[in-house]
Amino acid sequence: MIRPFELAAVALALGLGILGARMLDAGLLFLACEVLTLFIMAQMWNLLAGYGGQVSLGHQVFVGIGVYALFLTANATTLPLWLVLAGVPFAVALAAIPLGMVMFHLKAAYFAVGMWVVAEIVQQIAYKMPFVRGTAGLVLRPGGQSIQGYPEQIVFVIALVAAVGLMVALRVFLRTRAGLATLALRDNEGAARAAGVNVQRLHLILFCVTAGGCAGAGALYYITTLYVTPNDAFQLNWIVAMMVVTVIGGTGTLAGPVLGVAILIGLREGMTAAGFSGDQYWIVMGLLSVAVLLVSPRGLWPTLAGIFRKG
Amino acid sequence: MSLLALNGVTRRFGALTAVDAVDLVLDAGECVGVIGPNGAGKSTLLALMVGDQRPNAGRLTLDGRDITRLAVHERVRAGIARAAQIPQTFASLSVLDSVRLPALYGAGLSDRAARDWVDEVLALCGLADKAQATAGALGLLDRKRLELAKALAARPRVLLLDEIAAGLTEPEVDTMVALVQGLREGRAILWVEHIPMALRAACERLIVMDRGAKTLDGPFAQVWSDPGLQAVYMGVPADAAA
Ligand SMILES: Nc1ncnc2c1ncn2[C@@H]1O[C@H](COP(=O)(O)OP(=O)(O)O)[C@@H](O)[C@H]1O
Ligand SMILES: [Mg+2]
Repeated sequence: MIRPFELAAVALALGLGILGARMLDAGLLFLACEVLTLFIMAQMWNLLAGYGGQVSLGHQVFVGIGVYALFLTANATTLPLWLVLAGVPFAVALAAIPLGMVMFHLKAAYFAVGMWVVAEIVQQIAYKMPFVRGTAGLVLRPGGQSIQGYPEQIVFVIALVAAVGLMVALRVFLRTRAGLATLALRDNEGAARAAGVNVQRLHLILFCVTAGGCAGAGALYYITTLYVTPNDAFQLNWIVAMMVVTVIGGTGTLAGPVLGVAILIGLREGMTAAGFSGDQYWIVMGLLSVAVLLVSPRGLWPTLAGIFRKG
Repeated sequence: MSLLALNGVTRRFGALTAVDAVDLVLDAGECVGVIGPNGAGKSTLLALMVGDQRPNAGRLTLDGRDITRLAVHERVRAGIARAAQIPQTFASLSVLDSVRLPALYGAGLSDRAARDWVDEVLALCGLADKAQATAGALGLLDRKRLELAKALAARPRVLLLDEIAAGLTEPEVDTMVALVQGLREGRAILWVEHIPMALRAACERLIVMDRGAKTLDGPFAQVWSDPGLQAVYMGVPADAAA
């Protein structure tokens, strides 16, 4: 099952997380939280699209739902914030079951666009809900109290352990029989069916797991900002980032999103430091995605790994 | 009771009737050859049996149970597997894992039982020394062998073979024939092939398909010498040869 060095990696992440939370300044911690939560989301999208072959253009809906599930539940109850956070992925994964069952009637591009439409609809509904407070936004006040201290310290520890834990969990999963079915699905859906795999059920499982993962990562991220609006939580940028990171890094590989996030955030921070304004890095990322798709359609990681193996 | 039975099974693609009201019965222990010109509907007939295609009319039963609406994965589990005409490989999986998948899911074996069974199938199909090779890197013969190994690993009671010997050299064909002969125990085999010698060696019954219809079905020698077979291949009537 789980191998010793994989356990060690999780333990190391916990140790480094605690150390880092004490040593790093608030700005760096904030950036690290963003990187880690974005990585989790991208890995989720990769699991569904890269492995499962189900391209979704609407997974930002689960980010938004996760954030609001956390904010609304934490604010309205006296449950500990971190307990609510732990419950969010499971609740959203369960809620995704009926949605998945409906959406899987749509095939390929129709599913992708259908998910986008769902995300837009949910965002509009969120605006209309009085308790979401529309564009005025919602402040995180667990049990009605303002948060004391610096939540990004705890968020950083959780995010680092979650990100490393996710890598380990996926490695372990891919070694199981369901993991073998997932790898087969990635390579040849028809042949996976012919081998006896219930592809529709596997798709549904991947859909729900990735919905829960995006929800948890979104909820975690917005604990650092303490404030959210529907515009922000449901924004298209989330899904664009998930896709760009995966496509550049390497679809259908576990290492791809790691590389992709490093490139995305590295480029953004580099360009900001060099004095380029706000969103110009998105243009560069867009061009980079196109270039990668042309040169190495499965992303950079498989190509790089190939060079290493030969060299 | 027959193992697999087709009753009036029809599949249309637009104006084209690829399979036209076919009645067919397969019993355990028999090996049945299928011949017919290109486009006769042989592959579509097999696709209807495994569930890749759904019939526009007619029904299929397995052990008397109606399977017409059963999904592909349910039919494999029920005991129908096919080695497709174009090998369906898992490009990045090893040969071993490619065969392990149908052993686990199709045959429903435990991890431990699957391990022994996969070794047996690989040895049987001449892939034992390639177990760790990547499926996507195999040559044509090995991909054909792997396609057969995947079908076999599901432990089907109805094994459908679609041109598994096409493109192989004569000695390779002989190997395939010997292999198929060893597989008939307890199962029905339906083998579509253009190589008469292969079918003659392995099958005691022969079916001829032409333009979607089953035109002949009977003991091999009898069908082989039937004037109707000559008509299908020799262009009598003139438009049948296409
Ligand atoms: N998916 C499909 N869509 C449309 N036409 C098809 C499809 N599959 C097969 N056909 C047509 O049905 C006929 C029978 O094809 P096929 O079953 O592959 O023949 P065979 O295997 O005997 O050569 C052919 O005319 C082929 O073009
Ligand atoms: Mg054919």
